Amino acid sequence: MGESPSNPVRIDAVPARRPIRALPELLVNQIAAGEVVERPASVVKELVENSIDAGATRVTIEIEQGGIELIRITDDGTGIPPNELALALAPHATSKIAAASDLDRIATMGFRGEALASIASVSRLSIRSRTRDHSGATEIESEGGRIVGPRPAAGPIGTCVTVRTLFFNTPARRKFLKTVATEQARCADTAKDLALGNPALGVTLKCDGRVVLDLPPGGGPRDRALDILGRELEAELLEVHADQFDDARGLALWGLVGRPSLARATNKSQYVFVNGRPIRDRMIQHAIAESFRGLIEPSRYPTAFLMLDMSPEGVDVNVHPAKAEVRFRDGSMVHGTILGSIKRSLRAADLTPSILPRVEPATPAWGGRAVLPGSPALSPQTPPNAAQRFADYLKQLGAVARGTPGVGELREAREHAASITSAFGQPAQGQTGIDDTAPIGAQAGVFGATTPEGGTFDPPGPGQWNSTTESASSSGIAPTEDPMLLAPPRPATRVLQVHKSYLVSQDEQGMLIVDQHALHERVMFEHLLSRVGAGSLESQHLLVPAIVPATQAQIARLDELKPLLDRIGVDASPIGPTDIGVHAFPTFLFDRGVEPIEFLRDLFERAESQAFMPGSEQALRDVLDMMACKAAVKAGDQLADTHLQALMELREDVERSSNCPHGRPTSIRLTIKELEKLFGRT
Amino acid sequence: MKVICDRSALLDAINTVSGAVAARSPRVQLSCIHLHAAKSGGVGELTLSATDAEIALKLKLSQVDVSEPGDALIPADKLRAIVSAEDQEPTLTIEADDQAAHIRGNDAHFKVFTYAAAEFPPIPDFHDAVAGSAAAPKAKAVFTQSAGTLNTVIARTIFATAKETSRYAINGVLLRREGKKLEMVATDGRRLALCRIALPGPAEKDAKVASCIVPTKALGMFQKLVRDGDEPVHVAVTDNQVLFSFGTDKDPGRAVLVSNLVEGSFPPYDDVIPRDQDKKISFDRDVLASAVRRAALLTNEESRGVRLKFSGKKKQLELSSRAPEMGEAQINVDVANYDGEDIEIGFNPTFITDALKVIPENEVIMELKASNKPGLIKSGTEFMYVVMPVNLQ
Repeated sequence: MGESPSNPVRIDAVPARRPIRALPELLVNQIAAGEVVERPASVVKELVENSIDAGATRVTIEIEQGGIELIRITDDGTGIPPNELALALAPHATSKIAAASDLDRIATMGFRGEALASIASVSRLSIRSRTRDHSGATEIESEGGRIVGPRPAAGPIGTCVTVRTLFFNTPARRKFLKTVATEQARCADTAKDLALGNPALGVTLKCDGRVVLDLPPGGGPRDRALDILGRELEAELLEVHADQFDDARGLALWGLVGRPSLARATNKSQYVFVNGRPIRDRMIQHAIAESFRGLIEPSRYPTAFLMLDMSPEGVDVNVHPAKAEVRFRDGSMVHGTILGSIKRSLRAADLTPSILPRVEPATPAWGGRAVLPGSPALSPQTPPNAAQRFADYLKQLGAVARGTPGVGELREAREHAASITSAFGQPAQGQTGIDDTAPIGAQAGVFGATTPEGGTFDPPGPGQWNSTTESASSSGIAPTEDPMLLAPPRPATRVLQVHKSYLVSQDEQGMLIVDQHALHERVMFEHLLSRVGAGSLESQHLLVPAIVPATQAQIARLDELKPLLDRIGVDASPIGPTDIGVHAFPTFLFDRGVEPIEFLRDLFERAESQAFMPGSEQALRDVLDMMACKAAVKAGDQLADTHLQALMELREDVERSSNCPHGRPTSIRLTIKELEKLFGRT
Repeated sequence: MKVICDRSALLDAINTVSGAVAARSPRVQLSCIHLHAAKSGGVGELTLSATDAEIALKLKLSQVDVSEPGDALIPADKLRAIVSAEDQEPTLTIEADDQAAHIRGNDAHFKVFTYAAAEFPPIPDFHDAVAGSAAAPKAKAVFTQSAGTLNTVIARTIFATAKETSRYAINGVLLRREGKKLEMVATDGRRLALCRIALPGPAEKDAKVASCIVPTKALGMFQKLVRDGDEPVHVAVTDNQVLFSFGTDKDPGRAVLVSNLVEGSFPPYDDVIPRDQDKKISFDRDVLASAVRRAALLTNEESRGVRLKFSGKKKQLELSSRAPEMGEAQINVDVANYDGEDIEIGFNPTFITDALKVIPENEVIMELKASNKPGLIKSGTEFMYVVMPVNLQ
């Protein structure tokens, strides 16, 4: 720096000593501004946070030219008295803290007293403010730190800060700004973050005079989140909260997480707020990812909106200039609470994705109002490809088997089941017949007609299982009328195997399509996991060791792998410098036709990676996952009827069966409503 | 060619030969059955042949009225379907050349297009193999044994072969001739079955040890070709093929089965046969089989093994199984002849019952050493079975 190219620094040249000087205040502030004020969006953030700290209920943000030319924040907060106005622009002047001990319990958004001074040093800034106690407002102006005023002015109660020509006196920084559109988008993102973090605050954002965001004050976090993320997502979001608010722990958690189908390729759709402050925290991101493990592919990120409220003592916000990072006093408690809460809500939900949300892979990023069922963007005239293909398939299908309801799914389906059963004059428990659903039920009644094959497409509401002609004739026993005597709804389901790869069945919500390999893999994985929890897998000794060619690194790692191998029933030891001998191998893999050599070669290769920690739970899961994948039925395997039945029954037993261990879905659902839409019945 | 033959005998022959027809081959000739009609000394003979290039089968049908000797190559599935469907006819007439075959019954006439008979690959001749030729050296081993005895040896080993493993060598059965001894060995890596018999007649002069690996499929076909247990079977092993020729002196070459050998080396099985087992228990075959079968009722995919607990003091064997979330089984068997140390060992029950099924003797001996060492099951003097234990939890 500072050396011109014609005068290169020479190693043996001793530079002339320059005296140490105290920097002028403006330069100090400009340097500070470099950290706090990176771009217009940072100005928006700092100023709106000031408004929030001033107790504002409404904030209007106006920006012009992406905020480069003008940013104006108007609030209805307490305002600044005229005599303090000049001080507000001075560095390290603040009303928010008074002593060092206050830093341990920061309850306001700002606290350093840097923001206004920093912004003032790199822009033309004016503040007009009026408190409740004054009849008129006062205005003060600053141009690159040179202060004019304060002088009386006209204005309402509250504060209005106007920032013009940002970075006019630091051309280098101005040069680094992106296009107007980019800067405007960043300002808008910041405004959304602030609005999400402060649901009760009314926020209006105007860009070049046009209102782009207008959020009413006084709402709750759920409303605010849906306002910004898109109402259409409501059905795809699950509510998350800590089991109970625990004052002793000083942590409250509320949030929304997207179903696995909403997962994205980046973590931009994760919003985390601590005491209303948007933050990025690796530990929290890890907790989110961990809770979705097995439900989405590892390369994708769940959609999540989490609000943590904790006592100010529990979190240190004074670690990052823009306060985008925080430090928790008890990080593992925060991690555990988030992990546990999300898992609990995922477990309680039926995660089988339905067809329609999956047909638009390129859903715009969060906040961009994703296209989802029920949204007008999905017009019936242009059915998406997958759905069209499915409709074509249905035409060839003929009779469709009856489905099996998972007991847990009944709750989820209550609304729909009620609409169907009401048409049969048999309302679902706790529900009375709903008039406006009658037409749907009537259509279902048409479907219920017996097909030539004797199979029926009965919409299987609770208590409907015994009423089909098929079961009555095959059992020879008239269905009992007494609802008290009805067996629990666990009927024999007919399952159809399609192209030796997919299983088609039905449940009370519609049709289920299952990937046989993914489901079997999932089922096996869960069995293995619980089996391994009870002790090592049963292992079969070999007559002569199977010889697995191995690298030196793989052989060196063998000792470390031993406890893991023991658990899965593999006994292996080095044989010579280039081979590993396998002396015993799990019986169940043998039965499934998995070859020891092939399997262990893969395992050793995977174990060679540094990321593989042989002692970790993750490594065990990885290995069990490999075993399940290799042992499971493959796409293309013809399955006997009894196997199909068994597989579908297992589906209900296995928690999280809607995704395979790799996170791909095991089953998708086409609901009756979607079918009706595809067939133009609505 | 033109022949008149008994329909049901022809159908039997077609069904048997069809086992060697290639199911899906780009060479259409391999999906055909080759017919060769000949007349010698006034007696007509029809020979049916098929091959999938791995296995070849030749069956001779006598008592055929050959009015015109000759050859034909007819698609197997059509020939089989027609002969099978003409079930009201005692005899059928087949008249065929390189263009078409005409199959006639009383009220029916089928014309099936054929292929040129010369395009059918020649099937190795047993005598050529024995004698050797310019292209191939003479057979490494030639011997004769009754079909029934060979069939028993095959049955006692073939069950232990591996199914669809990539270690091709153990997809077949090792056949080993040493002097007057014939041995067959099969293994799937977890158990090994060995059957050893003495060959009749004087030992071949300058007989060297000859061994080869015969594909499981060929041995399965051998079992189907057995009609009469006393019928002699001549066996010749060459460098790359094994040939079995069934037939009495009166009817030589009734059936000839030729198979390519499995390449690769068979595991060194002699080393895995344990020789220092110190615990020997004698069982009644059916008692042991029943106990193992019953103990296996409460096993499942992840908990396959049955635990055998021998107590010398109590003179008892306790067999038990346990499947998590399913249940447990316990069977007690008296073993009056056992007074050795207590031992506990786990086995895959199927491996035990598989072996007991092919043992004709009433008494079987189980020999053990330790719970992580192989178990040995023996019966009579011919059969020996090594089974590796399972680690139980």
